[in-house]
Amino acid sequence: MDNKTSTRVGGPEDPRGGLEAVVALRRTLEALEAAQVENAFVAGWSWAKIAEVLGVSKQAVHKKHARRIKGRYPGEPPKRKGK
Amino acid sequence: MMFARFNDRSRTCVEAAFDEARMLGHDSLGDEDLLLGILRADEGIAAEALSSLGVTLEGAREESEEMLSGALSSIGISLEEVRREAGDAFEMRIPDNRRIPFSAWAKKALVEARKEMRRMGDNYLGTEHILLGILGNADGTAVRLLAGMGVSPEALEERLFELRGRAAG
Repeated sequence: MDNKTSTRVGGPEDPRGGLEAVVALRRTLEALEAAQVENAFVAGWSWAKIAEVLGVSKQAVHKKHARRIKGRYPGEPPKRKGK
Repeated sequence: MMFARFNDRSRTCVEAAFDEARMLGHDSLGDEDLLLGILRADEGIAAEALSSLGVTLEGAREESEEMLSGALSSIGISLEEVRREAGDAFEMRIPDNRRIPFSAWAKKALVEARKEMRRMGDNYLGTEHILLGILGNADGTAVRLLAGMGVSPEALEERLFELRGRAAG
């Protein structure tokens, strides 16, 4: 709290702030990945194409996101656009 | 036997804490989530002590979110902008199929809670013991969250024992 006023929060002289920023970033990254994969799916992208751009395997993307996203759009096939 | 002697309210507290952690996008259950769990379980003297000092469930959730966005802005990232760019699909919530572990501080708080129970000569582990366990972690996230809301561990402990004395008659 009190170190928020210092000029280098999250800098080398503030390990606590720096590590907390890592945690916050990791959590935000997870949420951002979930959102962007969902956005791509809704835009009609295939899992293969999503995986390609993310630079990971199709299996990895499918395992991590498919159930959540398909559950959210039941029976609603994604638009085939923007391929 | 981590949950031996837990009464109904403290079991509810831990379940609610997992819910809160998930909702806030915490990839582990932190000691601050246990605090939110206490507020959700309500009706105990721990929740009463917290609310009498102005700590509400809503307020504590907001403070937790502010701590996250504050940490991000310390490295030049605006959560608001990330949210805006990603659109409606962006939410911090942890997906249901992902399990989240207890954080080291949350574990420590529950171990301390058991010690408090023994120290106080109680034969059940209630939310008041969990709260004391949390407050024992001066470095923990929960104590920082409370400090952000203007509440010190000392003031909270004092109120807790006051309420406990009153309940005992």
